[in-house]
Amino acid sequence: MTEIKHKAFLFDATRCIDCRACMVACSVENNIPMDKTRIWVAGVGIKGEFPNLDRASMVYHCMHCEHPGCLSACPVGAYTQREDGPVIYNPDVCIGCRYCMNACPFGVPHFDYDKGIVDGAFIDKCTFCPQRIDNGQQPACVATCPTDALEYGERDELLKKAHERIAAHPNRYVNHVYGEFENGGTSYLILSHVPFSELGLPNLPETPVNAVSEAAIGLTLPVALGWGAALTAVTAGVHLYNRKKEEVATVESTTEEVGI
Amino acid sequence: MTKTISRRDFLKLGAAASAALVVGQMLPPLVAQAAREAGHLNAAGDGYIPSMCEMCVWRCGLIAKVKDGRVVKLDGNPEHPHSRGKLCPRGQSGLMNTYDPDRVLNPLIRVGKRGEGLFRKASWDEALDLVAGKMTDIKEKYGPEAMVFSSTHNLSQVQFENLLYAFGSPNYGTQRSLCFNAMITAFSLTYGVEEPSRKYDDVEFILMVGRNMMEAISTSETSELSHAIDRGAKLVYLDPRYTKTASKATEWIPIRPGTDSAFLLAMINVIVSNELADCEFVKQYVVGCDGIQDEMRRYTPEWADQITGVPAATIERIAREYAAAKHNALAHPGWRTSNFINSFQTERAIATLNALSGNVLTPGGCLTAEVSAEGAGLGIPHQPPYPRISAPRLDGVPWKYPLVPLKLGVFQELRDAILTGEPYQAHGWFISRQNPVMSLPDRTKTLEAFGKMDFIATVDIILNDTAWFSDVILPEASYLERYDPLLPVGDKAFLRQPVIEPQGEARSALWIYKQLGERLGLGDYFQYEDEEDYIRQQLKPLGVSLEEVKEKGYAEMPEEDKNGEITFNTPSGKIEVYSETLKNAGFSPWPTWEEPPIPGKNEFYLLTGKVAQHTQFGTQNNPLLHKYSDEPRLWMNAKTASKLGLSNDDWVEITSQVGAAHSKLLATEAIRPDCVYLTPGYGHLSKGLKTAYGIGASDSALHVTYTDPISGGQALSQTFVTVKKA
Repeated sequence: MTEIKHKAFLFDATRCIDCRACMVACSVENNIPMDKTRIWVAGVGIKGEFPNLDRASMVYHCMHCEHPGCLSACPVGAYTQREDGPVIYNPDVCIGCRYCMNACPFGVPHFDYDKGIVDGAFIDKCTFCPQRIDNGQQPACVATCPTDALEYGERDELLKKAHERIAAHPNRYVNHVYGEFENGGTSYLILSHVPFSELGLPNLPETPVNAVSEAAIGLTLPVALGWGAALTAVTAGVHLYNRKKEEVATVESTTEEVGI
Repeated sequence: MTKTISRRDFLKLGAAASAALVVGQMLPPLVAQAAREAGHLNAAGDGYIPSMCEMCVWRCGLIAKVKDGRVVKLDGNPEHPHSRGKLCPRGQSGLMNTYDPDRVLNPLIRVGKRGEGLFRKASWDEALDLVAGKMTDIKEKYGPEAMVFSSTHNLSQVQFENLLYAFGSPNYGTQRSLCFNAMITAFSLTYGVEEPSRKYDDVEFILMVGRNMMEAISTSETSELSHAIDRGAKLVYLDPRYTKTASKATEWIPIRPGTDSAFLLAMINVIVSNELADCEFVKQYVVGCDGIQDEMRRYTPEWADQITGVPAATIERIAREYAAAKHNALAHPGWRTSNFINSFQTERAIATLNALSGNVLTPGGCLTAEVSAEGAGLGIPHQPPYPRISAPRLDGVPWKYPLVPLKLGVFQELRDAILTGEPYQAHGWFISRQNPVMSLPDRTKTLEAFGKMDFIATVDIILNDTAWFSDVILPEASYLERYDPLLPVGDKAFLRQPVIEPQGEARSALWIYKQLGERLGLGDYFQYEDEEDYIRQQLKPLGVSLEEVKEKGYAEMPEEDKNGEITFNTPSGKIEVYSETLKNAGFSPWPTWEEPPIPGKNEFYLLTGKVAQHTQFGTQNNPLLHKYSDEPRLWMNAKTASKLGLSNDDWVEITSQVGAAHSKLLATEAIRPDCVYLTPGYGHLSKGLKTAYGIGASDSALHVTYTDPISGGQALSQTFVTVKKA
């Protein structure tokens, strides 16, 4: 049996011009409501004093972790991970408990607080465009990127490419590929000319969040069983009620405006 | 982010779209049927159709994904040299230009006062009869010259011009003098070509003078520049503002506004006085090599240091680096080069730097000055010659502006003639796909000129600000709903074809101009049955069928004969760094320094520019672009703001000689202390633009009209303003 290679993104902050074509493309491709988004701009923006200036920003969406904390935390199996890596979220299964939001170290899953659970609000996040990648296309954000700041491919290959770029231009890049090891490895790999913290990225250990949380959950389960059963019954009831309503709702999120 | 349209608006939009579908079903679904025949759509009507973007004038190739009669996604066409599979944010948002809830889908006739925004729906027959009747009245009473025509760069412009010339008016306003007159006149005079094309394959050194390529995106060229930087090419970028291009440059030079040409002339001085250029080689092809050393002697780096604020040593070093890169150096011609009354000289200096590097002359060099006539090789409908026009142009070309090409014009000068009635009074204005209320400087003056008009008609897809003040609005089909004439790019002629049915009563410009022409008694000038027939006539010399072009999205063009000789379309056949034409017109034959005015005490240069999410004044109402744009603000240097007691997000009043505007402030390190910059394109007056109305301020309310005497370009950065807390 051949091993299935994980797919990934490579983002290069030195190439990104913050034009937001990726954000518009994602919004159209995935039919995202006008007040929502699945891609954000992060980072400190302009830094320094006139005329000695630099700019630090990046776009990001779900990191599609190799060991997704959201998936581990989800009590109803709304999250699944495809064999080729993408972490998929199924709103039909979601009960709106928001555990995944706490479990994600990148703050990716968003919840529609305007609606609340009774109105049928769900989590939302990037899906890796399975409708496109399974059709031989690149994800919408990658396909349109005018400067190739976003690239798509097999994770192994992109990692190799990223290290080659650092080796070719050691003065241009920080000597690290963010996401190679962070949180046990992510499928959104990042190259940068400024420290990753300036792009708004957390300093994470190599041990994935869920390695810790799963152990803890293992201990607490018997204790929580009574409580859990009661809560689950209530939530499941609400969920069933929601399922009858046809309206599809999505999550609240805001695009952080970078200092321009 | 700022507010976006609500979920309820979304539902409303869906309802409007299904209503349009019902209407569509009563008519034969021509677009879908044709797309099925071309193999683009399956039996269910789903699939992909190649066409061309129109969110700016770069015209990328696109592939539209269509489902159930609606366009649901646009991707860049990998086969098109302008897109190469990519689209910028504007291109990606294109379907919301078509599905904008504010689309005008019926002809409208004004019922209230101008500017009240009260219109009634009318049939095409009634609206066209009214427009043709008014135009005929004006022609009979005052002569054809009393009608002003204006339109901005678009693929159907050839038929707009056909209507204008057949009608017999000399008065034609385009966006060109508000945009690239300086570049085009300078390069035409120097190289005999309007806009030389750039090649980045082997570029080592790029000099960009305010060409904000990373925000004023031209998809393929932005991509090429980015890849060149990635490879290690050096980019030196001159701009008073730290734009996103500045952030990608190897070296950003925050030069004093209006002094670019001093910087460039000093570069030329360093190159020629140190004999850094291969003069023996260059001499064969350039007029002016002999005298240039003497002529440039006075422009020393020390002299330029005093004027530009850039240290002499920096200028000298950059000049030497530029010269060392030889034909792999590129001084970018720029695009919107209408900044100061000396912008023509800036462009002449850029043209000269390129001549000295040999980049145009050396095979594989970074600049190409080949002349290729637009539309050459394509057929055109046969038609009678145009009537002779004897009336002078109201914009002063050529009697006041002898070197401005007729097709460029000096749009901003029209209004004085309209207001004074000299040399004669204009009475009507026919406008297509243009928004002079927003684009011309001194908006008050534009509206006063509108007040002098007996009749104004506008063709557009939304109620833009000019339509808002018009008497009749003719609704055009959007670029995803219509055909336009073919566009040759390199060895292919690309097709814009409808990917969905036009919504409501919207119709193509080709149809509108023909209908109007027939009603004006000018039917002989419109020798095409419909849009497809027009394109078939274009294709005839190529021997290609329209069906084949619809399927592929383009037609192959025969290769142009290239005899290998280097000649230029100038009087001497050479590159004219020294120009007799300029001398004969009473101007300096050499690139020269002209001192522009400087701001007074407490005044700032008011800079304009571009953001990646918008094209001029036409896209702010697109809900998707609105969603992903930053809030428009007035940029001011943070330290200056602090001295004035202003902080971020304060509301400020900006005042110029001709008007005032209110804006929120962005206190930032990213701009020179003597400049402010207003996010362009906002401050719309039309309440018919429900997404954009009430947001931001318009710099056209502040801009003073200043015209470069040689190129006719409007000096858009020469307005000085004061700023105080609102």
